[in-house]
Amino acid sequence: MKGFSKNILLLLLTVHVSSETILLKGGLVHLGNGEPATPKDILISDNRIASVGKNLIIDGNTRVIEVNGLPVTPGLISPMSNLGIVEINSLDVTRDDESNILSAGFSIFNAFNPNSTGIPWNRSNGVTSAISTPSASSFPIFGLGSYFVLDGSLKVKGSKDIAMFGRLGSSNESRAETLAILESLLEIGRLFQNSTVDEILDMTLAEKLELQPADIIALGKVVNGGMPFVLETNRAVDILQALSIKQKYSLNLVLASVEEAPMVLDELKESNTPVIIDPMDNIPNSFDELGSNLNLGKILDGAGIPIMFSTQRSHNYHLMRQGSGNAVAHGMSYETAIQGMTDTVAKTFQLNNRGSIESGKFADIIVWDGDPLEPSSFPKIVMIEGELQDLTSRSSKLTERYTNSEEKPSSYKH
Amino acid sequence: MTNKFFLPSLLFILVSCSDSFDIDVSFGSSDSVYQGIDNAFESTYIPMYSQPILFRSANIYDGLGGEFLNYDLLLSDGVIKEISKSISAPGVFVIDATDKWITPGIIDIHSHMGVYSAPGVSTSSDGNEATSPVTAEVWAEHSLWTQDPQFALALKGGVTTFHVLPGSANLFGGRGATFKNISRNTIQAMKFPGAPHSLKMACGENPKRVYGNRRQSPSTRMGNMAGYRSAWIDAVEYADGMNESNEDRRPKRDLALDTLMGVLKGEILVQNHCYRADEMAMMIELSKEFDYKITAFHHAVEAYKIADLLADEGICAALWADWWGFKHEAYDMVQANVAIVDQARNGTGCAIVHSDDPVGIQHLNEEAAKAMAAGNRAGFNISKAHAMRWITSNPAKAAGIIDQTGSIEIGKDADIVLWSGDPFSVYSKAEKVLIDGAMAFDINDPKIQPITDFDLGIIQPQKNRIQ
Repeated sequence: MKGFSKNILLLLLTVHVSSETILLKGGLVHLGNGEPATPKDILISDNRIASVGKNLIIDGNTRVIEVNGLPVTPGLISPMSNLGIVEINSLDVTRDDESNILSAGFSIFNAFNPNSTGIPWNRSNGVTSAISTPSASSFPIFGLGSYFVLDGSLKVKGSKDIAMFGRLGSSNESRAETLAILESLLEIGRLFQNSTVDEILDMTLAEKLELQPADIIALGKVVNGGMPFVLETNRAVDILQALSIKQKYSLNLVLASVEEAPMVLDELKESNTPVIIDPMDNIPNSFDELGSNLNLGKILDGAGIPIMFSTQRSHNYHLMRQGSGNAVAHGMSYETAIQGMTDTVAKTFQLNNRGSIESGKFADIIVWDGDPLEPSSFPKIVMIEGELQDLTSRSSKLTERYTNSEEKPSSYKH
Repeated sequence: MTNKFFLPSLLFILVSCSDSFDIDVSFGSSDSVYQGIDNAFESTYIPMYSQPILFRSANIYDGLGGEFLNYDLLLSDGVIKEISKSISAPGVFVIDATDKWITPGIIDIHSHMGVYSAPGVSTSSDGNEATSPVTAEVWAEHSLWTQDPQFALALKGGVTTFHVLPGSANLFGGRGATFKNISRNTIQAMKFPGAPHSLKMACGENPKRVYGNRRQSPSTRMGNMAGYRSAWIDAVEYADGMNESNEDRRPKRDLALDTLMGVLKGEILVQNHCYRADEMAMMIELSKEFDYKITAFHHAVEAYKIADLLADEGICAALWADWWGFKHEAYDMVQANVAIVDQARNGTGCAIVHSDDPVGIQHLNEEAAKAMAAGNRAGFNISKAHAMRWITSNPAKAAGIIDQTGSIEIGKDADIVLWSGDPFSVYSKAEKVLIDGAMAFDINDPKIQPITDFDLGIIQPQKNRIQ
């Protein structure tokens, strides 16, 4: 972890100072840290949460917003998204999530488009920040994901290259080969601790793996407990392989998908590995995930494993609410679900000032019109770094246009 | 979950479409000279064993917009016998439904279960005969795998009936068929008795991409239109020829043209995959040119832009609650789409929430809940009782089976779900699912939970896949 904090490039390019001091009064507040919700007030000042509690002392300049008992949560954080880097999946010219040259060192950070339509849409649905990842174009490691604050600012706020992403599982080649390649790549990372990029580039192995300098530098960051390494894998025995690699290279491992995790629960628990799951995916989509089951969240939660949520499809990352709601319906604890969309992501990916409603953290806060785990609920208030966000999206504009009964062509309804 | 975080790649391949529905259509009773192949591969469905069941003190959404609080419901002989405040039926098996909800069995008008079975491997990829843009001759049911584990998962989500369509690679993808969600070892034994076939048609990006990439027609939307029109010209000529009283003068039988002729005769319902508003309007023009009816547009991400037109034409729109962004034609998503279609022309629109997805089909109640909430945020006043139509009676209409199922009415098939609570809540579960009065699923009784051959002993021989 130490090595990582030295390497991480925190890009808080501008700290927007909000002029307004706001009191969110009388909400049913989920702090995000796993504690059950209780009625609390939240005082927000200078982009941050100033204090949380009852009967907070405020001055005459504070704007008081009555929340009237509605549920309040931290802003949701998607741990795996394509926000800002993919506009339309089927159109390659709108995608910036793949590299032909780089693998482990491929960073999507500079491709992030704060004006992408997915951002206001997900923001208005309660997602205030997200990790965007490269896609599975290279195997077994795709590249580096970055963290982004979804306020739409052209001065991009976030953290560059905070985690590496890869996959282990079925392909056209043997997974034994995939594992061997994965180990070779991590071996390069280990060598980089004591060698220069040029020395490594001269090695046959680096040549065979077609590595670029950026790949080598990135691999150096994941070995020995550094940058989080997110590996998507499902088959029980593959999970064990991943855990063994974790130990061998002291990886800060996060496992994604893990549909057969219940079969290796003890090992997973012992390894202290957080997971990212899609609780609604109970389809045995491949021979790697025959154990797929709606009770995955319940079982992992029962073992005390930190859980985060992915979504079945792209573009609607807010639907992790529906996913976690289904997990709760099938036995996961309610607060684990809330935590999994907020604090667990922040802790796992070392987003130190986010993820929970705690004095000193950035005021990324949602007030919901109902139970946040019910798919029919919707945000009343979305706040990012203390700023109340406009909930307008392209989708809301289209809705407005086509529910406007004026007798004129739609293009003139604006 | 392989690869799904990153791109819903399957979606590009299996695009589906929607139908038009005509409530006046009569099925299989045409008196024209040539009867086509309507008698081939008929349903051999026989309901499972059932006994009379009385649900006591249930809250009921009837699927037609009605809500009945604290009513009794009697099922007998596979049908709905009585709904009233207090039913006396001595000796009948009683289920206490106090504080629970009963709805009609959920119906999905757009499924690829069985033709894109799980696991989704190449050997089970049987939904797109993507070898020619016009494959009206293929039938989805001829691809169906009866042991697809997805059927049983959908059953747990309350789905009693589903319509299986070919994919959307082609302009004419082939025939779709409707099934009772019942475990059987032959395809015909699952087929919904008397349900009409559908014809899957597809607009837009999919056909033009699939064939354009091969440097063949269609590679453009205008190419799509030319392809439909050419096929319909052949179909009209064929239908005329088949009307010849002199058998020797009839053309040689053609499977593809049999299907298109079935549409022209009103016996086969058109389910038309189409996203964009302008393309849907074009497809309506096409249907007028060749005098056929579109039953429903499927996916129809832009249906809200032509909601009045759809209501005027009596065409349903089968929709997702919120999918978007995977294709250019799925860019203009609004969550109020379902509600706007539903509320068009003083609430005479026909909106359906469909899945096109083995996960979505298990949660159609939640999808309807999202669509309803979005509609109400947009200013409508849609009740839960009304929204229940989107996943019951409206898809039954579009599948041409409204006389048999899709609502809780005396005499209809006893296709019923008992929910643990509010059917629109994420926390509610289907506790019991009955098909033709027979208990097909009981959440509390492992003996009444289907386990397919595929599921049996596959991970560890002593256990079943889901246990």
